[in-house]
Amino acid sequence: MIGYYFRLAFASFRRTPGLGILMVLAVAVGIGVCVVTLTYYHAISGNPIWWKGDQLYSVTLDNWDPREPADPSRPTLPPDQLTYRDAEHIWQSDIPKRTTIMYRGYGIISGDGLNGPLKPAPTTTRITTGAFFPMFDVPFEYGKGWSNNADVAPEPVVVISHELNQRLFGGTDSVGRTIRWNDTPFRIIGVLAEWDPQPKYYDLTTGNFNPAEDVYLPWKWGETLSIQSDGSSNCWKIQDVQTFQGLAQSECVWVQAWVELPNFIARSRMQSFLDNYTNAERKHGRFPRPQNNRLTDVDQWLKVNKVVTNDNRVLVGLAFAFLAVCLINTVGLLLAKFLNAAPLSGLRRALGASKKQLFLQHMVEVSTIAGAGAVLGLGLGALGLAGIRELYERTATSPHPSGVASLLYLNISSYLTAVTLAVVATFICGLYPAWRVGRLQPASYLKNQ
Amino acid sequence: MNVPFRPIISALFRNRAGALLVAAQVAIALAVLVNAVYMVKQRVDLINRPTGIDVDNIFVVGVQGFTKDFDYRAMLDEDISWLRSIPGVIGVTATNSVPLSGGGSSDYFKLTPDAKTGGRDALVNYFHFNEQGADALGLNVIAGRWFTREEVQPPGGTLYAVYSGPIVVTKDYADRMFPKGDALGKVIYGSSSQPLTIIGIVDHMIGSWPVGVDYPTQIMYMAFEPAGPGTRYLVRTQPGLRDQLMRKVEAELGQRNVKRAVNYVRTLKLYQDRSYLTQRNMSIYLIVVTGLLMAITSFGIFALATFNVSTRTKQVGTRRAVGARRRDVVAHFLVENWLITTVGVFVGCVLALAAGHLLSLQYDLPRVDLYYIVGGVVVMWLVGLAAAWHPSRRAARISPALATRTV
Repeated sequence: MIGYYFRLAFASFRRTPGLGILMVLAVAVGIGVCVVTLTYYHAISGNPIWWKGDQLYSVTLDNWDPREPADPSRPTLPPDQLTYRDAEHIWQSDIPKRTTIMYRGYGIISGDGLNGPLKPAPTTTRITTGAFFPMFDVPFEYGKGWSNNADVAPEPVVVISHELNQRLFGGTDSVGRTIRWNDTPFRIIGVLAEWDPQPKYYDLTTGNFNPAEDVYLPWKWGETLSIQSDGSSNCWKIQDVQTFQGLAQSECVWVQAWVELPNFIARSRMQSFLDNYTNAERKHGRFPRPQNNRLTDVDQWLKVNKVVTNDNRVLVGLAFAFLAVCLINTVGLLLAKFLNAAPLSGLRRALGASKKQLFLQHMVEVSTIAGAGAVLGLGLGALGLAGIRELYERTATSPHPSGVASLLYLNISSYLTAVTLAVVATFICGLYPAWRVGRLQPASYLKNQ
Repeated sequence: MNVPFRPIISALFRNRAGALLVAAQVAIALAVLVNAVYMVKQRVDLINRPTGIDVDNIFVVGVQGFTKDFDYRAMLDEDISWLRSIPGVIGVTATNSVPLSGGGSSDYFKLTPDAKTGGRDALVNYFHFNEQGADALGLNVIAGRWFTREEVQPPGGTLYAVYSGPIVVTKDYADRMFPKGDALGKVIYGSSSQPLTIIGIVDHMIGSWPVGVDYPTQIMYMAFEPAGPGTRYLVRTQPGLRDQLMRKVEAELGQRNVKRAVNYVRTLKLYQDRSYLTQRNMSIYLIVVTGLLMAITSFGIFALATFNVSTRTKQVGTRRAVGARRRDVVAHFLVENWLITTVGVFVGCVLALAAGHLLSLQYDLPRVDLYYIVGGVVVMWLVGLAAAWHPSRRAARISPALATRTV
């Protein structure tokens, strides 16, 4: 019977192809806009390391000015980064399974490539403890990261990104080669596989969707080479910050710290470790503000830092308003179409079709339209996403594609969105017109024939 | 023209569902239109604010020394004098940060040396520029003067180096610190209580943060070479020469000193565009979706009018046969449609206000102006008329003979 209804739906489409196409288009445009918006929203609101979401915690301590909070518009929050000395102290704790302290630097890569000397080129650099790689599940293409020892007495080893390895060595296994970072030689011990988590949750200070760095150096090189932060740094106290040593001892915040705490016990022990530390420091005149030490998991961290903006939420609302108009439009068209074809329905009723069967037949027709609309909507959605990528890429300065644009492709959630909306559209659009047609008195239409 | 409302209304009630559906579309469309246009307007105003900078004729060169025996000061002198020697270049300055880029430096400054900083309201965006800073940006000095070569101090050790000496400020900052308008010649103090003397006032400039701060135009300029070993040069060219000179600098600057890398040569416009990127993308998205929405709605109005005309062919023929003129038929359908649109418009006004109220409450957006609602109502009426125009004309062409044929 269902097959027969599909044939009827097709015949009905052929009777008024223009109207059919318009209905499919209305549904398609509505679903397309929703697919674009929701794919975008999903991309920016995602947690790129959801599987470890309850184990990774950002550490923040309130070492700020007694007279005012770090961010006056949100006075309950401590600064979003740590001082160098506090980060190093946290690194000493053996409570976390792993601890990453890190900041962003900037250096010039030179040395010898596959075919002679490389053109010196700037690279974004992360100065970090070796725990970074296992902690954030960073995949390696060749080699591996470094051990704790390499951080303390800094070994001249370096991990580079997939993209940099492409640029310098054409993607070959470059482990064991030497490159120069600001004219200091480093041996490559690891090459990352393609990896670019978005949003860049582990360091949001230089933009929520900044690409991952190209070079990773062991922690103590920062001090050895006096590498200053290329990211954000904030100071409140008047101190001598003319040298790296001065900065490292100051109250300026510019280091990110993350700890891996596998369970609740570790978490509460870590919290008391932090509280004890700041209490002890208070005796030396530091931490003049009320106690406000925080361990924030990734989900919460993304919320606190407002990765999803109000604009994004407005767009989701707009998309649904748009879909509503498209669907209302389709209801109107379906009503017109079904009522125009009412004599046919009257005939079928007279020949014995029940109200229920008539209703079902019309619902099948509506679902065909909604299905076609969903397929076309996905196509429009892909076009829309390509358009948005283009808008972003026009001002891109990074040599490799990244940022939000890298997420703007149809994915499994886009398909789910389209299918769900098609089902919703079928019911919203079809119920009333199909019901009305079923309710018509067959006799009044037969008379007219 | 005498429009008979009775038959129009009774005809309307014959197809209540269709009319209500169209009115609902009109209502939602109006609510979206009003709020979207308002949001776009705010963004366009933000993007089009005057910057005070000759943005279109400036490019930015990023350089970075990286060898152990690198001499930063010598590079500054050589690079700047070479860049200045290029014909068509108006001014060159090194800078600690790129204006309009979204990244920069700010600090507290105070009116007396021992004040406990005045809180955030004294925070100001500052730049380290040389004696050609004003020329390199195309700034308009309205009082006092810009720095001389002799006043420019050698670079400090870090970006936080303490500066003391002459400063130039924007008028907005001068007025904030000295509301009586007598800022010129006054001394203010830095966070280390070092004195700074205001020697000049610049008309207007948007600084490092075009969006996201509440003091974008309060700026201080210091006669200071920025700290190394990397820096940026701002180069302003005569109109039309920018791209040509950028290519020349890109090709030649790197070879002049191999102990440093030339990281990039970019237009200042790129930085500006990047700062406004989300604003601009949001505007484009809003415009596209609202445009599509209006198209869908007017199409819905058109479809209903067409349906009504086609189902009432006989009735129209009858009315024509008993004396109605063509224009009466056109008027009938236009008025019928206008009534439907108007119902939608009224509901839409309420929706628009509600949506605007919700946006302003939830998201701190300013409340929508009433002008926009009035404008939206007029637009929806016009769209409704335009969409119903063609079907109404078709109705008028129905021949009176049709009525007699099928009776």
